[in-house]
Amino acid sequence: MIDELIKILNHKDVEWEIYWEIGRGSSFKIERCELVRAQRKYHSGIGLRIGYKGKIGFSYITGINHDRATLERFVNRTIKLAKVSEVPFHGFPDNNGGNKVKALYDKRIEELSFDDAYATALSLTEKEKEFKEKFGKEYTFSGGLAFGVSTDGIANSNGIEKSEKTTGLSMSIHIVKRSEKSGIGSYYKGFRLMPDFEREISLGLEKALEEVALSYNAKKIDGYKGELILEPHAVASVISILMSNLYGDNVYHRRSRFSKVGDTIASESFTLIDDATLEGKLGSYSFDGEGNPSQRNVLIENGILKSFLFDETYAKLMNTESTGNAVRDFRTTPHIGNSNVIVDGKRENLGDLDKAVILKRVFGEHTANPVSGDFSLTVELGYIIENGEVRPFKDNMFVGNIFELINSIISVGKEKEEVGSFISPRVLAFGKII
Amino acid sequence: MEIERLMRKAEELAREYGIKYYEVRIAEINATHLEMQNSHLEEFSSNIEIGIGVRAFCGAWGFSSANDMRRAEKAIETAMKIAKLMKGNSKVYLDDPTKDRAEIKAKKAFVDVDLEEKLELVKTVDRLLMDDKIVNRKITYGDGLKWQFYFNSLGSEIETIIPRIRLSFSATAKKGNDMQSYWEIFGGTGGWEIIENTDLEHWTTFVKEKAKSLLNAQLPPSGEFDVIMDPELAGVFIHEALGHASEGDAIKNGESILEGKLGEKIAVEELTVVDDPTLEGKFGSYIYDDEGIKARRVEIIKNGFLNEYLLDRETAAYLNMEPNGHGRAQSYNYQPLVRMSNTYIEPRDWSFEEMLSEVKRGLYLIGDKGGEVDIANGTFMFGAKEGYLIENGEIKAHIRDVALSGKILDVLRNIRAIGKDLKIEFPGYCGKGQWVPVDDGGPHVLTRALVGGLL
Repeated sequence: MIDELIKILNHKDVEWEIYWEIGRGSSFKIERCELVRAQRKYHSGIGLRIGYKGKIGFSYITGINHDRATLERFVNRTIKLAKVSEVPFHGFPDNNGGNKVKALYDKRIEELSFDDAYATALSLTEKEKEFKEKFGKEYTFSGGLAFGVSTDGIANSNGIEKSEKTTGLSMSIHIVKRSEKSGIGSYYKGFRLMPDFEREISLGLEKALEEVALSYNAKKIDGYKGELILEPHAVASVISILMSNLYGDNVYHRRSRFSKVGDTIASESFTLIDDATLEGKLGSYSFDGEGNPSQRNVLIENGILKSFLFDETYAKLMNTESTGNAVRDFRTTPHIGNSNVIVDGKRENLGDLDKAVILKRVFGEHTANPVSGDFSLTVELGYIIENGEVRPFKDNMFVGNIFELINSIISVGKEKEEVGSFISPRVLAFGKII
Repeated sequence: MEIERLMRKAEELAREYGIKYYEVRIAEINATHLEMQNSHLEEFSSNIEIGIGVRAFCGAWGFSSANDMRRAEKAIETAMKIAKLMKGNSKVYLDDPTKDRAEIKAKKAFVDVDLEEKLELVKTVDRLLMDDKIVNRKITYGDGLKWQFYFNSLGSEIETIIPRIRLSFSATAKKGNDMQSYWEIFGGTGGWEIIENTDLEHWTTFVKEKAKSLLNAQLPPSGEFDVIMDPELAGVFIHEALGHASEGDAIKNGESILEGKLGEKIAVEELTVVDDPTLEGKFGSYIYDDEGIKARRVEIIKNGFLNEYLLDRETAAYLNMEPNGHGRAQSYNYQPLVRMSNTYIEPRDWSFEEMLSEVKRGLYLIGDKGGEVDIANGTFMFGAKEGYLIENGEIKAHIRDVALSGKILDVLRNIRAIGKDLKIEFPGYCGKGQWVPVDDGGPHVLTRALVGGLL
């Protein structure tokens, strides 16, 4: 049917681009050690962009199997939109090759039958029941399992024609302990390829239980100002405040703190990379939402601003090249977004310390001001190591300014951890807890 | 007719799979979206989408959806197959069938307003926001007309039509390396009249001036302070500090700090908190929820006592209660979850001046910058757009980038004064794995919280 649509479009005197998706997603939810809901959803659709006399129109259609008359109407409707549109058209990308990123698809996930997935979800449920028996009624266990497959395709009037099938699977565990106090522990891990469930379930439960024990005993502390360590989860929260300043559209429209590459914006111990080409990672793809090949973009290298993230439109507006960062689905037009974000820098051993203030999880980063950089985040969990003792804390606030924080980074750890598509070691910086 | 055929098919399949209860939502959404930044139109789309979502229950839920109506039967069958496979022990509330056709009427339907006129609106706002010191202007307009047909195995057949409209604009001011933004959002359930009734000249000037004045505002202090919240901030406060923790699924799953506290006094006597989807014209309003239950006003806290949870069919059955119309789904392709609608604090009799005179050293905080809550630990946080220091009952220096944090059970007892000036006109979206339109508000409220200032 895509070929049919391309045929129709080639007969029109317009520039065009189609982005199509077809996929299936399934998930299971466990509440209080019971498997209570499951779903299997199908989605498919086509987004069409038409460039006409310097203007662009967009519309989408759900479903992927349409007769010729429906496709004709769809094309004509979008052309009509382009004719009345005032959105400037800067051209679609040319066919520029690109590589296939490895290990983003696993046949075993695509072909995982619902019954087999159900059995896996049951094994997580059973394991949680075992733990519940062991730990007692103060504990509430919940969790989830989700998996899916999706094929994304793109074609345009400049000769781009690409498609890619990817799979994904995720597992989550959530534990609450409530008696005279409350504590929570969570674990989430996503995969592109089929993992060893048995191992992952055990690991996830172990990590979530560690966290719940810390959280249950955590108390508010008086406050602290000085060197502290951010664990990957907390790094992900604060770096998310920085990211929009690195998007080309925000730079162009002067909503970014930064205006040109080459400036020193962080400490030389800090490097930040956006890389969509990493094998088997959650934020990886072979081509972006406009068909440009994915690439590795060093955004900040040893404190120096090296690059912004671009899609085709803003690259053209700013006289540069797309970085392969157009993000979209069939319902939306492309916009700039990141892929895998990797924190690196001056590596030191930041594990096994005998004295440290460590922030494990913070929340509320979406309330921060990305243009001023000021943030005040609630500490969900932190701990202080002193004289061989671990003293957990929570309910304080971690306050600061993201631009000052990245300037205060002293070093980063050697071991990286994945938090979704964010990949980071521990980070040692200067901060304030109130 | 296609729907009747699907109703028959669902009945047939339910018999075949031995399904106790099922429900089907077929929706058609007609949506327009425009976005402009610095006079540069970035988004201009108008789309129609049709889809089906099916839930089947057999002690546990099976759900399936499709956005291609040719897969409608397949979706019904898949949901039922899953439910059958799951063999759970949950319960679901079953009621008498409802047959109804309900519509939130617009005075001036936005579907009858030309795209050109909508574009002109966005351009007008862009023009009005222009100013030497404003480096970025961003305007977003969206409208959506949602037609939905709901039917279930009990014989309910409910057709609803809900129009929603929203306009937001922001201005970013810059001085040296420093930047500050301010924004306002307008919207509700209704039509183009909501836009026509908005004084664009006044509000664009207001937004510009605020963004510029924030460049000269101080950083907030940090620590525990007396805080007066304006109606907008009081809204996000109660949404985060109480609303989420009172959602039935959080209670059922043993996650909420409010579990087992129904009937207990958890707040000051003056506090009454309401969630009301039936309020006329509000952004979070609806007539029936996505489980075919009539929307109902719920008093979550009544005179300081935890009075009622927000419930859907499943959580109501679990708690041996009746659902109160709070099962909402983002769209046809999502399962309903327990959600808020329009959440607000009932007014009392304090004037703002009386409240101010109560504060020796504190903060007057204004506007909503979003928030987040950890319902298990009972900790929440939320951000204000701006504020002022208060010294000896007088408003002093302007402050910026303020966020607050508190413990649910402490902060509800720390409320010292509730104003008489109720406002519920702050449309937004609430995220909980799904996005649903909500509104919130209240009068001015005086409480005590941890202020995460940078000084």
